[in-house]
Amino acid sequence: MKAKKRVVTSRDGRPAGTKRRPTVRRLRSAFEPAPPPRARPPEPDAADRPPSPGGEGDESPVDLELDLGRGLRLASPLMAAAGCFGYGIELGPAVDLGRLGAIVTRSTTVRPRPGNRPPRAVEVAGGLVNAVGLQNLGTEVIESRHAALWAERNVPVVVSVAGGSVGEYVEVVRRLDGLPGIAGWELNLSCPNGARSGTLFALEVDAAAGLVAAVRRATELPIVAKVSPAMPDLRSMARALVDAGVDAIAAVNTLPVLVVRDGRDGPALGNGLGGLSGPALKPLALRVVHEIAQVVEVPVIGVGGVADVDDVLDFLAVGASAVQIGTALLADPLLASRLADDLASECRRRGVAGYRAFVGTALPSRRDAPSTRGVEYRP
Amino acid sequence: MPGGAAVETGNAELVDARRILPGEWQLTFHAGHLATGARAGQHVHLDPRDTGGVVRRPLPINTADATTGTITLVLGGGTRGPDALTRLRAGDRLDVHGPLGRPFEVDPRSHHLLLVAEGRAMSRLRMLVDEALATGRQVTLLLGAESARDVYPSSLLPDEVEYVVATRDGSVGHRGAVTDLVPGYEAWADQAFGAGPWSTLAALARLAATRRTRLGVAKLGRKRGGGRADPVGSPLARRKAFLQVALDQTIGCATAVCLGCAVIGTNGAPLRVCRDGPVFAADELDWDLL
Repeated sequence: MKAKKRVVTSRDGRPAGTKRRPTVRRLRSAFEPAPPPRARPPEPDAADRPPSPGGEGDESPVDLELDLGRGLRLASPLMAAAGCFGYGIELGPAVDLGRLGAIVTRSTTVRPRPGNRPPRAVEVAGGLVNAVGLQNLGTEVIESRHAALWAERNVPVVVSVAGGSVGEYVEVVRRLDGLPGIAGWELNLSCPNGARSGTLFALEVDAAAGLVAAVRRATELPIVAKVSPAMPDLRSMARALVDAGVDAIAAVNTLPVLVVRDGRDGPALGNGLGGLSGPALKPLALRVVHEIAQVVEVPVIGVGGVADVDDVLDFLAVGASAVQIGTALLADPLLASRLADDLASECRRRGVAGYRAFVGTALPSRRDAPSTRGVEYRP
Repeated sequence: MPGGAAVETGNAELVDARRILPGEWQLTFHAGHLATGARAGQHVHLDPRDTGGVVRRPLPINTADATTGTITLVLGGGTRGPDALTRLRAGDRLDVHGPLGRPFEVDPRSHHLLLVAEGRAMSRLRMLVDEALATGRQVTLLLGAESARDVYPSSLLPDEVEYVVATRDGSVGHRGAVTDLVPGYEAWADQAFGAGPWSTLAALARLAATRRTRLGVAKLGRKRGGGRADPVGSPLARRKAFLQVALDQTIGCATAVCLGCAVIGTNGAPLRVCRDGPVFAADELDWDLL
């Protein structure tokens, strides 16, 4: 079998120089990010640290910092996911964001969008289905008002960018690039591509890579690409995105689903289709993160159904370096910063110096088969 | 917030739970901050940890009794309804966030109030009945239901209310839609308040929009100098509207962040049910959209 040649013998002790696959001219910025998190059992770390009691009152410093590259350092790996924290200013400056790593804004388009017709959200078992339709205030309001407010806050703000064509994404980025309050970009790839008769960017590897490359040319800030779970195997997508220049990959966006109205005379949402989020999405998101983390060197940001610290640890275990909180933030806007504190106490309890000890512990020692090979039957 | 009371998060203790209709429960909570601060039309949010859901669940405040410090909420009516709550026992405590949203605005000059409810939406208007009676107004309550078994029990309403029922199958009261009853009371009413499914509210809104021409009613009140109008959506503008409606939408966050509850206004701009509503003047909304 050919695949055997590519077996990685040891994930933890891999020499820095070795490459698992030939990478053709990967362009990196001057700010080389910290080496991507690799699987490391927590014990060796614990051994070279003084024993920590890990009690309730223990306030020993824990390293929660994450370097996303290009100068973007997060105080913690917990982020607010796009759309679930608005523009980050709705709750007012009085709210203590604590150890929130970063806020990802609601997706922003060039011009303001009123959004979809109602109903826009419906709750299903274990999840929320929404079709807000990218309601947002447009680029100009951010330019004139929001960016200045973000600059005053101590939490980095990553602007989620959406558009109907490569040109629209690039225009948003160009107009906002360099404003003091903006720390990076998250590309919402789940947008219909006008040039390809409306196929989502997230479903076509070359379209997504082309988009990232175009945005890369327009900005020096870090770029996060948010991929869709609607694609069966995201490995080739992840590789292409990295080669095109993303600094991190967020996995996953909502999953397109349908809910039937009570009278069974049509879909429950005004838009017809909606995006599933919440706990129901978590196993799917874990699979995607697990898949992507094995093939890319950039940080992977896990999103999907995170509601408590166990969910955070699950995502870290399958290779995520950071975790975004989405739907759960709607019920409790301060959850993300509280989970960062929980993660810190979990580190103390387990006697490790930083949360990186938890990253990748559930990754296989050799590369796993892609999910498209089947779940129930394996040759 | 125009609701008047400060928004608080507090523990509420379940005092009593009883079934009032098949599949509908009335829960009484001891929650002083809600009982004194809430106004008719406002709602509370229940925590997903208590309801077993994913996002917060908005429930209208059914009644509030300031003297005993209790509020009642009505649950049920749907298969994915907040059924985890029906297993609560007296003495259980849960987080009730509220009061949230904007209340009904009753014009001080209105003496005859017409309330129109369909099905479960009764609990959105129930508190307005108490408020209106307490201020000496006359209230006519029209209720639409599927059949006699779904009709809100009149024993739970004050005696002073004129209570008129329409059922789809004609098992009690008028046979047909509740909106059929409205023309009989339109001329009597100074103001109307509606709650129910979108289609019912849209029918009410169409009736209200043509009311003046159909009835030949003169505009109430003195003319303002220069015809200065109150800004659309302000409490004063709503107070002058003949019809106000309370909307039922899935609300994700109640902090105006998720925009999942938005409906579209007449000018095409989205309005958030959690923050701008749940009560709206009927002429603020685009009724053809749904």
